[in-house]
Amino acid sequence: MVLEQERVIALSDMAYGAGVRLGLRRGGAIMLAPQSQFLQRAPELEKEAMQAAAMALLQFTPQLAEAEEATLLLDVGASLRLFGGIRALCRKVADSVRALGFTGWLSCAPTARGAWLLARSNGGRALKMDSLERKLETLPAGLLPPARPYLSWLEGIGCMTLGDLYRLPRPGLQRRCGRPLLDMLDDAHGTRPELHEWLAAPASFHAKLELFDRVERADALLFGAHRLLLQLTGWLSAHQLAVERIHLLLEHERGRTAGPPTVIEVVLAEPTWKDTHLVRLLKERLAKQTLDAPVIGLRLEAPQVQPMAPLSDSLFPEPGGSKEDWQRLLELLAARLGADNVLQAVPRADYRPGQANHWVSIQTKIRPAEARAQLPPDIGSLPRPTWLLAKPIPLLMRDHRPYYGSPLRIRTTGERIEAGWWSEMQTRDYFMAQGEDHAHYWLFKERGEKEPRWFLQGLFG
Amino acid sequence: MTLPETVHPSLWRADQLAQSATRCMDTGFAALSAQLPGGGWPVGTLIDLLVQQHGIGELRLLQPALAALDRRPIVLLQPPHEPQALALAALGIEPSQLLWVRSGAKASDALWAAEQILRSGCCGALLLWQQHARGETLRRLHLAAQSGETLFCMLRPLAAAQEASPAPLRLSLKPAAGGIDIGFVKRRGPQRDTPLFLPLTPTLLQRHAPLDRSTPATAPARGISPALVGG
Repeated sequence: MVLEQERVIALSDMAYGAGVRLGLRRGGAIMLAPQSQFLQRAPELEKEAMQAAAMALLQFTPQLAEAEEATLLLDVGASLRLFGGIRALCRKVADSVRALGFTGWLSCAPTARGAWLLARSNGGRALKMDSLERKLETLPAGLLPPARPYLSWLEGIGCMTLGDLYRLPRPGLQRRCGRPLLDMLDDAHGTRPELHEWLAAPASFHAKLELFDRVERADALLFGAHRLLLQLTGWLSAHQLAVERIHLLLEHERGRTAGPPTVIEVVLAEPTWKDTHLVRLLKERLAKQTLDAPVIGLRLEAPQVQPMAPLSDSLFPEPGGSKEDWQRLLELLAARLGADNVLQAVPRADYRPGQANHWVSIQTKIRPAEARAQLPPDIGSLPRPTWLLAKPIPLLMRDHRPYYGSPLRIRTTGERIEAGWWSEMQTRDYFMAQGEDHAHYWLFKERGEKEPRWFLQGLFG
Repeated sequence: MTLPETVHPSLWRADQLAQSATRCMDTGFAALSAQLPGGGWPVGTLIDLLVQQHGIGELRLLQPALAALDRRPIVLLQPPHEPQALALAALGIEPSQLLWVRSGAKASDALWAAEQILRSGCCGALLLWQQHARGETLRRLHLAAQSGETLFCMLRPLAAAQEASPAPLRLSLKPAAGGIDIGFVKRRGPQRDTPLFLPLTPTLLQRHAPLDRSTPATAPARGISPALVGG
């Protein structure tokens, strides 16, 4: 329940069910619903919420103005084609407002004041001028702020709706109620050009969100993070920028156990300006994060941005998906599994098989020419197994044969590898062997000792 | 009477192979291709390969198909051992094509990763090694595979042949002398009980094999015409 000057101005459904009504005094409300929370109206928080909504809606049009009584006006004339028509656009706008956690009424009309009036009265959509005029006809006259002081007089002369008001003689109305009322009526009917002060997005992006409760599980923060990301996408499209790196700061409780905020950093290989990919990445990161202390607030920063690159305009899509799709997949895998579990092959020019087979994290940038230079020229003639055991297995000897499940028969002449004096010397003779189960194994014999020792190092997949 | 296969493409008689609804990739082995519905590995479906043990030639079996992927990425998800890029390069797979994904801490991570890879559709092939898989995860992966054109093979132990699977193609692989025996556990076509033998030796073994080589026929003295000898 929200109070202003000791009277209820907003309430939840549960409080309504208990019998609390708008305008009730505090004492009466406490009596009817003693367990409910009472909050004082906070104009600065409302202003922040408006700012957040405005920022998020900037992704639909750069022409956005703030109007009276918590209303945002969007000029979508130029955005209709891009977002697939007015219905699709309305749905997207409503979805973003809902994702931000606000409730709102959405209306559209050919004139800004008409749309404002419809939104204030929850009047729905009017796409043509005559349907708007039909709708305006029945709206109560008290919707217009300049008409409110004269409401009792208007009622007295039987002028209840905007239609009646518009039909009154204009000079008399101007003399009694002033110019602003006439101007607003003209704006709504489109007979006067409207001027708006379009909102300008700030030069750098910082958004914060205070949570209602102390949150102890990191994955429960995703909803809040999504709200911040929506604002980020609006800001990015207003500035025609794409983001390369974002920081999500989890703020912990102040006081005696105060600690620095936990930073979750998401670095992208391909700059993006859509929130869907960022939400997926943050979801995986938050699922992995363990919290040392409860979180009371979230902050989002975008320290690294660059101009938005236009989409590729090739006529035929590539069969394997685009390069950006591939990068997005790798980022997603690395976010959940850890970057050291998603590996690319970088063979090194080394004779020792264990060292030559080198895999690094996918986030390391490798130049293709350098990687190719490390490959041996006669790659097809090297007997190398597909699977390399992490640690060679010492083999038993039976009847002078190495034994692994069954006696192994050597099938090739040896390949002598002797290298690594600079770090880890290896003097080995490698052989390909076959067991009685007909599988092929890669063995080596350690040289340089009196008793030859055999090891299993690979399997031919 | 109209034949069932002319009524609808997904109908077939018990003694003939089905037509494949999806695109198929040639296996590279004519004897095997002739036994598969559609004449090759179906892409965009779950293929269940049941191996007796690792390292019996499962990658050599898939090699012609993998090499024909036209440099699209190949993901090795949770392989049993460290893959060796040089050996795969000798099989015709570029090291830059390869992506080795180890599963994270949780067992479900590998399945999650497989689903993401299949749904993204940017990979040419996905090979997933899995010990145990439940029926619903298999169904889920099979559905995810249908959303793209990825060659998706799941390699599981031979014991899994007893369990039911939604995969339309299930083959069992056992090593045999000089190759592997392929058993057809499930296919859209007639039941085949005798395994198919495919000769698959590591290529280098053939070149260097000092044993088992038939000695050339000895030419008796003056048996070859002087023109050939060049003397």
